[in-house]
Amino acid sequence: MIAIASVLAFSVSAQAHRLDEYLQATRIAVETHRIDLAIDLTPGVAIATDLLSSIDPGGNSRVPPHQGQRYAQRVLQDLVLDLDGKRQPIKLIGASFPGRADMEDGEGTIHLQAVVKISTLKPGHHELLFRNAHLPRISVYLVNALVPENKAIQITQQTRDELQKEYRLSFELKPTASKTGSP
Amino acid sequence: MKTLFFCATLCAVSMVVGGFHNRAGAAEPKSQSDSPIHPAPGSGQTARIARAAQAVLDTLDEEQRAKVIFKFGDKEQRARWSNLPTGMVKRRGLRMGDLSPEQRTAVMTLLSVTLSKMGYEKVLGIMDGDEVLKNSSGGGGPAFGRDEFYVSFLGTPSATAPWMLQFGGHHLALNVTFVGEEGVMTPSLIAVQPARYSLNGRTVRPLGRETDKAFELINSLNATQRKEAVLGFQMHDLVLGPGHDGETIQPEGIKASALTDQQKQMLLDLVAEWSGIIHDAAAAEKMTEIKANLPDTWFAWSGPTEPGSAAYFRVQGPTVVIEYAPQRLGGDPTQHIHTMYRDFTNDYGKKLLGQ
Repeated sequence: MIAIASVLAFSVSAQAHRLDEYLQATRIAVETHRIDLAIDLTPGVAIATDLLSSIDPGGNSRVPPHQGQRYAQRVLQDLVLDLDGKRQPIKLIGASFPGRADMEDGEGTIHLQAVVKISTLKPGHHELLFRNAHLPRISVYLVNALVPENKAIQITQQTRDELQKEYRLSFELKPTASKTGSP
Repeated sequence: MKTLFFCATLCAVSMVVGGFHNRAGAAEPKSQSDSPIHPAPGSGQTARIARAAQAVLDTLDEEQRAKVIFKFGDKEQRARWSNLPTGMVKRRGLRMGDLSPEQRTAVMTLLSVTLSKMGYEKVLGIMDGDEVLKNSSGGGGPAFGRDEFYVSFLGTPSATAPWMLQFGGHHLALNVTFVGEEGVMTPSLIAVQPARYSLNGRTVRPLGRETDKAFELINSLNATQRKEAVLGFQMHDLVLGPGHDGETIQPEGIKASALTDQQKQMLLDLVAEWSGIIHDAAAAEKMTEIKANLPDTWFAWSGPTEPGSAAYFRVQGPTVVIEYAPQRLGGDPTQHIHTMYRDFTNDYGKKLLGQ
Protein backbone atom coordinates (compact mmCIF):
# COMPACT_ATOMS: atom_id res chain seq x y z
CA MET A 1 0.00 0.00 0.00
CA ILE A 2 1.25 3.40 -0.77
CA ALA A 3 0.34 5.89 1.82
CA ILE A 4 -0.02 9.56 1.32
CA ALA A 5 1.69 11.74 3.81
CA SER A 6 1.30 15.43 3.74
CA VAL A 7 2.65 18.04 6.00
CA LEU A 8 0.16 20.54 7.23
CA ALA A 9 1.42 24.07 7.10
CA PHE A 10 4.89 22.68 7.42
CA SER A 11 7.12 24.98 5.50
CA VAL A 12 9.89 22.54 5.70
CA SER A 13 11.93 24.21 8.13
CA ALA A 14 13.40 20.91 8.85
CA GLN A 15 16.40 22.51 10.40
CA ALA A 16 17.70 20.53 13.31
CA HIS A 17 20.03 23.26 14.35
CA ARG A 18 20.14 26.66 15.84
CA LEU A 19 20.57 29.06 12.95
CA ASP A 20 21.44 32.69 13.44
CA GLU A 21 21.36 32.83 17.21
CA TYR A 22 24.18 32.46 19.69
CA LEU A 23 22.61 30.71 22.67
CA GLN A 24 24.37 31.57 25.91
CA ALA A 25 23.06 29.55 28.82
CA THR A 26 24.41 30.21 32.30
CA ARG A 27 23.77 28.29 35.47
CA ILE A 28 24.73 29.93 38.74
CA ALA A 29 25.51 27.92 41.86
CA VAL A 30 25.79 29.87 45.10
CA GLU A 31 27.58 28.39 48.07
CA THR A 32 28.95 30.01 51.18
CA HIS A 33 32.48 30.54 49.91
CA ARG A 34 32.05 30.63 46.17
CA ILE A 35 29.75 31.27 43.27
CA ASP A 36 30.17 28.95 40.31
CA LEU A 37 29.19 29.83 36.79
CA ALA A 38 28.66 27.16 34.14
CA ILE A 39 28.31 28.82 30.76
CA ASP A 40 27.28 26.95 27.63
CA LEU A 41 27.77 28.81 24.35
CA THR A 42 26.12 27.37 21.26
CA PRO A 43 26.48 29.32 18.01
CA GLY A 44 23.97 28.68 15.26
CA VAL A 45 25.16 27.39 11.91
CA ALA A 46 24.74 30.75 10.27
CA ILE A 47 27.12 32.46 12.65
CA ALA A 48 29.45 29.64 13.66
CA THR A 49 32.01 30.22 10.93
CA ASP A 50 32.38 33.90 11.71
CA LEU A 51 32.63 33.17 15.39
CA LEU A 52 35.22 30.47 14.79
CA SER A 53 37.24 32.83 12.65
CA SER A 54 37.38 35.28 15.50
CA ILE A 55 38.30 32.57 18.00
CA ASP A 56 40.81 30.72 15.85
CA PRO A 57 41.89 32.64 12.74
CA GLY A 58 44.16 29.72 11.87
CA GLY A 59 41.20 27.57 10.98
CA ASN A 60 42.38 24.52 12.90
CA SER A 61 40.16 21.47 13.17
CA ARG A 62 40.19 22.03 16.91
CA VAL A 63 40.56 25.35 18.62
CA PRO A 64 44.11 25.46 20.06
CA PRO A 65 44.11 25.75 23.87
CA HIS A 66 45.71 29.20 23.93
CA GLN A 67 43.15 30.53 21.45
CA GLY A 68 40.37 28.94 23.45
CA GLN A 69 41.63 30.49 26.64
CA ARG A 70 41.86 33.87 24.96
CA TYR A 71 38.27 33.65 23.77
CA ALA A 72 37.06 32.43 27.15
CA GLN A 73 38.67 35.44 28.78
CA ARG A 74 36.96 37.68 26.22
CA VAL A 75 33.64 36.20 27.25
CA LEU A 76 34.37 36.74 30.92
CA GLN A 77 35.29 40.36 30.25
CA ASP A 78 31.78 40.82 28.95
CA LEU A 79 30.23 39.44 32.12
CA VAL A 80 29.45 41.31 35.28
CA LEU A 81 28.76 39.75 38.63
CA ASP A 82 28.00 41.95 41.61
CA LEU A 83 27.37 40.59 45.07
CA ASP A 84 25.63 42.98 47.43
CA GLY A 85 26.52 45.83 45.13
CA LYS A 86 30.21 45.06 44.86
CA ARG A 87 31.80 43.98 41.60
CA GLN A 88 33.39 40.54 41.87
CA PRO A 89 36.28 39.20 39.81
CA ILE A 90 35.28 36.19 37.74
CA LYS A 91 38.02 33.64 37.33
CA LEU A 92 38.10 31.12 34.53
CA ILE A 93 38.64 27.59 35.78
CA GLY A 94 37.87 25.57 32.69
CA ALA A 95 37.06 25.81 29.00
CA SER A 96 36.31 23.12 26.46
CA PHE A 97 35.69 23.60 22.79
CA PRO A 98 34.04 21.21 20.36
CA GLY A 99 35.63 20.39 17.02
CA ARG A 100 35.37 22.94 14.24
CA ALA A 101 33.18 20.64 12.16
CA ASP A 102 30.74 20.15 15.00
CA MET A 103 30.47 23.87 15.53
CA GLU A 104 30.01 24.53 11.82
CA ASP A 105 27.20 21.98 11.90
CA GLY A 106 25.50 23.97 14.61
CA GLU A 107 25.81 21.22 17.21
CA GLY A 108 28.93 22.35 19.00
CA THR A 109 28.72 23.87 22.44
CA ILE A 110 31.57 25.69 24.14
CA HIS A 111 31.60 24.98 27.87
CA LEU A 112 33.12 27.49 30.25
CA GLN A 113 33.50 27.08 33.98
CA ALA A 114 34.17 30.13 36.09
CA VAL A 115 34.18 30.96 39.75
CA VAL A 116 33.82 33.92 42.04
CA LYS A 117 35.56 33.33 45.35
CA ILE A 118 33.82 34.77 48.37
CA SER A 119 35.90 35.39 51.44
CA THR A 120 33.06 35.53 53.91
CA LEU A 121 29.39 35.42 53.22
CA LYS A 122 27.66 36.85 56.21
CA PRO A 123 24.32 35.52 57.40
CA GLY A 124 21.33 37.44 56.18
CA HIS A 125 19.96 38.74 52.92
CA HIS A 126 22.12 38.94 49.79
CA GLU A 127 21.66 40.25 46.28
CA LEU A 128 23.48 38.96 43.25
CA LEU A 129 23.49 40.71 39.90
CA PHE A 130 24.66 38.92 36.77
CA ARG A 131 24.88 40.67 33.43
CA ASN A 132 25.96 39.14 30.13
CA ALA A 133 26.96 41.58 27.42
CA HIS A 134 28.80 39.15 25.18
CA LEU A 135 27.87 39.59 21.51
CA PRO A 136 24.41 40.97 22.25
CA ARG A 137 23.43 41.55 18.65
CA ILE A 138 23.39 37.88 17.81
CA SER A 139 22.79 36.29 21.18
CA VAL A 140 19.90 34.88 23.14
CA TYR A 141 20.34 34.13 26.81
CA LEU A 142 19.24 31.76 29.52
CA VAL A 143 20.18 32.22 33.16
CA ASN A 144 19.14 29.98 36.01
CA ALA A 145 20.18 29.42 39.59
CA LEU A 146 20.86 25.92 40.75
CA VAL A 147 19.34 24.94 44.06
CA PRO A 148 22.18 25.45 46.57
CA GLU A 149 23.67 22.30 47.99
CA ASN A 150 23.99 24.07 51.31
CA LYS A 151 20.48 24.02 52.73
CA ALA A 152 21.26 27.10 54.81
CA ILE A 153 21.18 29.13 51.60
CA GLN A 154 17.67 29.78 50.43
CA ILE A 155 16.89 31.52 47.18
CA THR A 156 14.06 33.95 47.68
CA GLN A 157 13.69 35.58 44.27
CA GLN A 158 14.97 35.54 40.70
CA THR A 159 14.27 38.38 38.29
CA ARG A 160 15.45 38.98 34.76
CA ASP A 161 15.02 41.46 32.00
CA GLU A 162 13.01 40.28 29.00
CA LEU A 163 16.06 38.99 27.13
CA GLN A 164 17.72 37.44 30.20
CA LYS A 165 20.79 39.58 29.68
CA GLU A 166 20.45 40.84 33.21
CA TYR A 167 19.61 38.59 36.12
CA ARG A 168 19.10 39.32 39.79
CA LEU A 169 19.11 36.72 42.49
CA SER A 170 18.03 37.30 46.06
CA PHE A 171 18.97 34.78 48.69
CA GLU A 172 19.21 34.34 52.44
CA LEU A 173 21.97 32.70 54.38
CA LYS A 174 20.72 31.33 57.66
CA PRO A 175 22.90 32.30 60.64
CA THR A 176 24.16 28.78 61.34
CA ALA A 177 25.53 28.43 57.85
CA SER A 178 28.35 30.86 58.41
CA LYS A 179 29.72 28.47 60.99
CA THR A 180 28.90 25.19 59.34
CA GLY A 181 28.79 26.08 55.70
CA SER A 182 30.82 23.93 53.41
CA PRO A 183 33.96 25.53 52.03
CA MET B 1 30.62 26.46 6.20
CA LYS B 2 28.35 23.68 5.37
CA THR B 3 24.98 24.76 4.28
CA LEU B 4 22.57 23.18 6.58
CA PHE B 5 19.40 24.44 5.15
CA PHE B 6 19.09 20.90 4.01
CA CYS B 7 15.40 20.84 3.56
CA ALA B 8 13.65 21.61 0.38
CA THR B 9 10.74 23.94 0.61
CA LEU B 10 7.48 22.23 1.11
CA CYS B 11 4.43 24.18 2.04
CA ALA B 12 1.39 22.15 2.88
CA VAL B 13 2.05 19.85 0.02
CA SER B 14 1.27 16.23 -0.24
CA MET B 15 3.88 13.71 -0.91
CA VAL B 16 4.00 10.05 -1.47
CA VAL B 17 5.78 8.21 1.23
CA GLY B 18 6.25 4.50 1.12
CA GLY B 19 6.20 2.44 4.20
CA PHE B 20 3.83 4.33 6.42
CA HIS B 21 1.50 1.41 6.44
CA ASN B 22 4.28 -0.42 8.18
CA ARG B 23 4.93 1.83 11.13
CA ALA B 24 8.38 1.90 12.55
CA GLY B 25 9.58 -0.10 9.62
CA ALA B 26 8.24 -3.34 10.93
CA ALA B 27 5.00 -5.14 11.40
CA GLU B 28 2.90 -3.89 14.27
CA PRO B 29 3.87 -5.84 17.34
CA LYS B 30 1.48 -8.39 18.58
CA SER B 31 -0.33 -7.84 21.82
CA GLN B 32 1.67 -8.56 24.93
CA SER B 33 0.07 -11.92 25.39
CA ASP B 34 0.88 -12.87 21.82
CA SER B 35 4.47 -11.69 21.93
CA PRO B 36 6.93 -14.30 20.73
CA ILE B 37 8.86 -14.42 23.94
CA HIS B 38 10.11 -17.50 25.65
CA PRO B 39 9.23 -18.35 29.23
CA ALA B 40 11.18 -16.63 31.97
CA PRO B 41 10.67 -16.36 35.69
CA GLY B 42 8.41 -13.71 37.14
CA SER B 43 4.88 -12.61 36.58
CA GLY B 44 5.15 -8.85 37.04
CA GLN B 45 5.51 -6.20 34.37
CA THR B 46 9.30 -6.04 34.66
CA ALA B 47 9.45 -9.80 34.09
CA ARG B 48 7.32 -9.39 30.98
CA ILE B 49 9.56 -6.59 29.76
CA ALA B 50 12.68 -8.62 30.53
CA ARG B 51 11.26 -11.50 28.51
CA ALA B 52 10.54 -9.17 25.62
CA ALA B 53 14.10 -7.85 25.88
CA GLN B 54 15.44 -11.38 25.91
CA ALA B 55 13.36 -12.08 22.83
CA VAL B 56 15.19 -9.21 21.11
CA LEU B 57 18.53 -10.64 22.17
CA ASP B 58 17.53 -14.08 20.92
CA THR B 59 17.12 -12.72 17.40
CA LEU B 60 20.64 -11.27 17.34
CA ASP B 61 23.90 -12.80 16.27
CA GLU B 62 26.97 -12.61 18.45
CA GLU B 63 28.30 -9.45 16.85
CA GLN B 64 24.99 -7.66 17.26
CA ARG B 65 24.70 -8.79 20.87
CA ALA B 66 28.13 -7.37 21.60
CA LYS B 67 26.99 -4.06 20.14
CA VAL B 68 23.71 -3.79 21.98
CA ILE B 69 24.71 -4.69 25.54
CA PHE B 70 26.67 -2.36 27.77
CA LYS B 71 27.64 -2.62 31.39
CA PHE B 72 24.97 -1.29 33.70
CA GLY B 73 27.47 1.16 35.13
CA ASP B 74 28.57 2.49 31.75
CA LYS B 75 28.17 6.21 32.42
CA GLU B 76 29.15 7.26 28.92
CA GLN B 77 26.52 5.12 27.27
CA ARG B 78 23.95 6.15 29.84
CA ALA B 79 24.43 9.78 28.88
CA ARG B 80 24.79 9.15 25.15
CA TRP B 81 21.48 10.64 24.07
CA SER B 82 20.50 13.84 22.39
CA ASN B 83 17.81 15.74 20.58
CA LEU B 84 20.12 15.99 17.59
CA PRO B 85 20.12 13.65 14.59
CA THR B 86 22.21 10.52 14.91
CA GLY B 87 24.63 11.70 12.26
CA MET B 88 25.49 14.68 14.41
CA VAL B 89 25.59 13.02 17.81
CA LYS B 90 26.65 9.42 17.35
CA ARG B 91 24.60 6.84 19.23
CA ARG B 92 25.73 3.35 20.07
CA GLY B 93 23.74 0.18 20.22
CA LEU B 94 21.87 -1.29 17.30
CA ARG B 95 20.45 0.88 14.57
CA MET B 96 16.93 -0.01 13.55
CA GLY B 97 17.85 0.31 9.89
CA ASP B 98 20.47 -2.41 10.31
CA LEU B 99 18.03 -4.92 11.74
CA SER B 100 16.03 -7.57 9.94
CA PRO B 101 12.24 -7.25 9.90
CA GLU B 102 12.03 -9.93 12.59
CA GLN B 103 14.51 -8.09 14.78
CA ARG B 104 12.76 -4.76 14.32
CA THR B 105 9.47 -6.34 15.25
CA ALA B 106 11.05 -7.74 18.40
CA VAL B 107 12.34 -4.29 19.34
CA MET B 108 8.99 -2.66 18.74
CA THR B 109 7.30 -5.40 20.74
CA LEU B 110 9.70 -4.66 23.58
CA LEU B 111 8.74 -1.00 23.40
CA SER B 112 5.06 -1.81 23.37
CA VAL B 113 5.46 -3.87 26.55
CA THR B 114 7.67 -1.27 28.23
CA LEU B 115 5.38 1.65 27.49
CA SER B 116 1.71 2.32 27.99
CA LYS B 117 -0.55 2.27 24.95
CA MET B 118 -0.50 6.06 25.00
CA GLY B 119 3.26 6.13 25.37
CA TYR B 120 3.83 3.64 22.60
CA GLU B 121 1.60 5.58 20.23
CA LYS B 122 3.45 8.76 21.14
CA VAL B 123 6.76 7.15 20.30
CA LEU B 124 5.41 5.87 17.00
CA GLY B 125 4.14 9.35 16.23
CA ILE B 126 7.58 10.82 16.90
CA MET B 127 9.25 8.21 14.72
CA ASP B 128 6.71 8.70 11.96
CA GLY B 129 7.30 12.43 12.22
CA ASP B 130 10.97 11.87 11.65
CA GLU B 131 10.11 9.80 8.59
CA VAL B 132 8.06 12.74 7.32
CA LEU B 133 11.05 14.95 7.98
CA LYS B 134 13.28 12.62 6.01
CA ASN B 135 10.94 12.61 3.06
CA SER B 136 10.63 16.35 3.08
CA SER B 137 14.26 17.18 3.59
CA GLY B 138 15.38 16.52 0.05
CA GLY B 139 18.52 14.71 1.12
CA GLY B 140 21.98 16.05 1.69
CA GLY B 141 21.45 16.80 5.35
CA PRO B 142 21.50 14.74 8.49
CA ALA B 143 19.92 11.31 8.38
CA PHE B 144 16.33 11.24 9.57
CA GLY B 145 13.65 8.60 9.62
CA ARG B 146 12.60 5.45 11.38
CA ASP B 147 15.81 3.65 10.47
CA GLU B 148 17.84 6.10 12.52
CA PHE B 149 16.71 5.01 15.96
CA TYR B 150 18.93 2.94 18.22
CA VAL B 151 18.29 0.39 20.92
CA SER B 152 20.69 -0.61 23.66
CA PHE B 153 20.70 -2.38 27.00
CA LEU B 154 22.76 -1.49 30.03
CA GLY B 155 23.04 -4.58 32.14
CA THR B 156 21.21 -7.83 31.55
CA PRO B 157 17.43 -7.71 31.25
CA SER B 158 16.12 -9.17 34.47
CA ALA B 159 13.04 -9.27 36.67
CA THR B 160 15.16 -8.65 39.74
CA ALA B 161 18.59 -7.17 38.97
CA PRO B 162 18.97 -3.56 37.80
CA TRP B 163 19.15 -2.94 34.07
CA MET B 164 18.28 -0.24 31.62
CA LEU B 165 16.68 0.02 28.21
CA GLN B 166 17.62 2.89 25.95
CA PHE B 167 15.78 3.66 22.76
CA GLY B 168 16.16 6.83 20.81
CA GLY B 169 17.47 8.90 17.99
CA HIS B 170 16.60 12.30 16.62
CA HIS B 171 14.01 13.90 18.92
CA LEU B 172 13.65 10.87 21.14
CA ALA B 173 15.62 9.51 24.08
CA LEU B 174 13.91 6.96 26.27
CA ASN B 175 16.00 5.97 29.26
CA VAL B 176 14.08 3.35 31.21
CA THR B 177 15.70 1.88 34.31
CA PHE B 178 14.33 -1.22 35.97
CA VAL B 179 15.07 -2.31 39.51
CA GLY B 180 12.87 -5.27 40.23
CA GLU B 181 9.26 -4.27 39.74
CA GLU B 182 10.18 -0.60 39.82
CA GLY B 183 10.56 1.19 36.52
CA VAL B 184 11.54 4.80 35.94
CA MET B 185 11.67 6.67 32.66
CA THR B 186 13.71 9.68 33.62
CA PRO B 187 15.55 11.37 32.10
CA SER B 188 13.77 11.15 28.76
CA LEU B 189 13.65 13.57 25.88
CA ILE B 190 10.35 13.62 24.04
CA ALA B 191 10.35 15.87 21.00
CA VAL B 192 8.88 16.07 17.55
CA GLN B 193 9.28 17.70 14.16
CA PRO B 194 6.97 18.27 12.44
CA ALA B 195 4.55 18.54 15.30
CA ARG B 196 1.58 18.33 12.90
CA TYR B 197 1.48 16.10 9.88
CA SER B 198 -1.00 14.04 7.98
CA LEU B 199 -0.68 10.31 7.70
CA ASN B 200 -3.04 8.18 5.68
CA GLY B 201 -5.50 11.04 5.68
CA ARG B 202 -5.34 11.48 9.43
CA THR B 203 -3.80 14.48 11.14
CA VAL B 204 -1.17 13.39 13.61
CA ARG B 205 0.03 15.54 16.51
CA PRO B 206 2.28 13.34 18.62
CA LEU B 207 2.54 16.02 21.30
CA GLY B 208 -0.85 17.53 20.62
CA ARG B 209 -2.58 16.63 23.86
CA GLU B 210 0.13 18.11 26.06
CA THR B 211 0.17 21.26 23.96
CA ASP B 212 -3.60 21.66 24.24
CA LYS B 213 -3.71 20.82 27.94
CA ALA B 214 -1.01 23.37 28.71
CA PHE B 215 -2.89 26.15 26.94
CA GLU B 216 -6.10 25.14 28.71
CA LEU B 217 -4.32 25.33 32.04
CA ILE B 218 -2.67 28.69 31.48
CA ASN B 219 -5.93 30.13 30.21
CA SER B 220 -7.80 28.83 33.25
CA LEU B 221 -5.72 31.06 35.53
CA ASN B 222 -7.15 34.32 36.77
CA ALA B 223 -5.19 37.55 36.43
CA THR B 224 -3.50 37.18 39.80
CA GLN B 225 -2.50 33.60 39.16
CA ARG B 226 -1.32 34.41 35.68
CA LYS B 227 0.89 37.17 36.99
CA GLU B 228 2.70 34.57 39.04
CA ALA B 229 2.81 31.88 36.39
CA VAL B 230 3.92 33.91 33.39
CA LEU B 231 7.61 34.67 33.47
CA GLY B 232 8.49 38.10 32.25
CA PHE B 233 11.30 36.97 30.01
CA GLN B 234 11.91 34.98 26.87
CA MET B 235 12.84 31.31 26.99
CA HIS B 236 14.74 30.21 23.92
CA ASP B 237 15.40 26.60 24.78
CA LEU B 238 15.29 23.88 27.38
CA VAL B 239 17.30 24.62 30.50
CA LEU B 240 17.78 20.97 31.41
CA GLY B 241 18.20 19.31 28.04
CA PRO B 242 20.87 16.77 27.15
CA GLY B 243 24.09 17.20 29.09
CA HIS B 244 22.45 18.55 32.22
CA ASP B 245 22.09 15.43 34.30
CA GLY B 246 22.31 16.05 38.01
CA GLU B 247 21.37 19.72 37.91
CA THR B 248 18.51 21.04 40.00
CA ILE B 249 17.34 24.50 39.10
CA GLN B 250 15.43 26.85 41.32
CA PRO B 251 11.70 26.52 40.58
CA GLU B 252 9.71 29.48 39.26
CA GLY B 253 6.15 30.40 38.36
CA ILE B 254 3.03 29.67 40.35
CA LYS B 255 2.90 27.06 43.06
CA ALA B 256 0.20 24.44 42.71
CA SER B 257 -0.98 25.27 46.20
CA ALA B 258 -2.23 28.53 44.69
CA LEU B 259 -4.35 26.70 42.11
CA THR B 260 -7.98 25.68 42.44
CA ASP B 261 -8.83 21.99 42.71
CA GLN B 262 -9.86 21.98 39.07
CA GLN B 263 -6.61 23.63 38.01
CA LYS B 264 -4.64 21.16 40.10
CA GLN B 265 -6.33 18.33 38.25
CA MET B 266 -5.53 20.03 34.94
CA LEU B 267 -1.90 20.23 36.00
CA LEU B 268 -1.86 16.54 36.88
CA ASP B 269 -3.49 15.70 33.57
CA LEU B 270 -0.77 17.67 31.83
CA VAL B 271 2.00 15.90 33.76
CA ALA B 272 0.43 12.53 32.94
CA GLU B 273 1.32 13.08 29.29
CA TRP B 274 4.93 12.40 30.31
CA SER B 275 4.59 10.28 33.45
CA GLY B 276 2.12 8.07 31.61
CA ILE B 277 4.46 7.15 28.78
CA ILE B 278 5.88 4.24 30.76
CA HIS B 279 3.73 1.16 31.31
CA ASP B 280 0.61 1.60 33.39
CA ALA B 281 1.84 0.11 36.66
CA ALA B 282 4.95 2.28 36.82
CA ALA B 283 2.98 5.30 35.61
CA ALA B 284 0.41 4.86 38.38
CA GLU B 285 3.14 4.68 40.99
CA LYS B 286 4.81 7.79 39.62
CA MET B 287 1.54 9.69 39.53
CA THR B 288 0.87 8.81 43.16
CA GLU B 289 4.23 10.32 44.06
CA ILE B 290 3.61 13.42 41.96
CA LYS B 291 0.18 13.92 43.55
CA ALA B 292 1.67 13.65 47.02
CA ASN B 293 4.13 16.41 46.12
CA LEU B 294 1.60 18.54 44.27
CA PRO B 295 1.50 21.43 46.78
CA ASP B 296 5.24 21.95 46.18
CA THR B 297 4.95 21.73 42.41
CA TRP B 298 5.39 24.82 40.25
CA PHE B 299 4.04 25.80 36.86
CA ALA B 300 5.82 28.45 34.80
CA TRP B 301 5.03 29.88 31.40
CA SER B 302 6.92 32.07 28.94
CA GLY B 303 5.39 33.46 25.79
CA PRO B 304 1.94 34.17 24.44
CA THR B 305 -1.04 32.37 25.95
CA GLU B 306 -3.18 32.21 22.84
CA PRO B 307 -3.72 28.57 21.88
CA GLY B 308 -1.64 27.66 18.87
CA SER B 309 1.14 30.08 19.62
CA ALA B 310 4.70 29.18 20.50
CA ALA B 311 5.22 29.20 24.25
CA TYR B 312 7.57 27.59 26.73
CA PHE B 313 6.37 26.01 29.93
CA ARG B 314 7.86 24.12 32.84
CA VAL B 315 6.38 21.96 35.56
CA GLN B 316 8.71 21.41 38.47
CA GLY B 317 8.06 19.51 41.66
CA PRO B 318 10.19 17.64 44.17
CA THR B 319 10.23 14.53 41.97
CA VAL B 320 9.40 15.76 38.51
CA VAL B 321 10.56 18.33 35.99
CA ILE B 322 8.94 18.79 32.65
CA GLU B 323 10.08 21.37 30.14
CA TYR B 324 8.36 22.15 26.85
CA ALA B 325 10.24 24.41 24.44
CA PRO B 326 9.21 25.26 20.88
CA GLN B 327 12.34 25.64 18.80
CA ARG B 328 13.02 28.89 17.01
CA LEU B 329 15.35 27.43 14.47
CA GLY B 330 14.25 29.25 11.39
CA GLY B 331 10.82 27.81 10.82
CA ASP B 332 7.46 27.70 12.56
CA PRO B 333 8.41 27.01 16.19
CA THR B 334 5.09 25.30 16.85
CA GLN B 335 6.15 22.64 14.36
CA HIS B 336 9.35 21.82 16.21
CA ILE B 337 8.99 21.02 19.89
CA HIS B 338 11.50 19.74 22.39
CA THR B 339 10.40 18.49 25.78
CA MET B 340 12.33 17.05 28.68
CA TYR B 341 11.13 14.79 31.47
CA ARG B 342 13.31 14.47 34.55
CA ASP B 343 13.25 13.55 38.21
CA PHE B 344 16.13 15.16 40.09
CA THR B 345 15.84 12.50 42.78
CA ASN B 346 15.57 9.45 40.57
CA ASP B 347 17.10 10.01 37.13
CA TYR B 348 18.47 6.71 35.86
CA GLY B 349 16.88 5.08 38.92
CA LYS B 350 19.44 6.53 41.31
CA LYS B 351 16.98 6.58 44.21
CA LEU B 352 16.07 2.96 43.60
CA LEU B 353 19.74 2.11 43.51
CA GLY B 354 20.41 3.95 46.75
CA GLN B 355 22.73 6.45 45.09
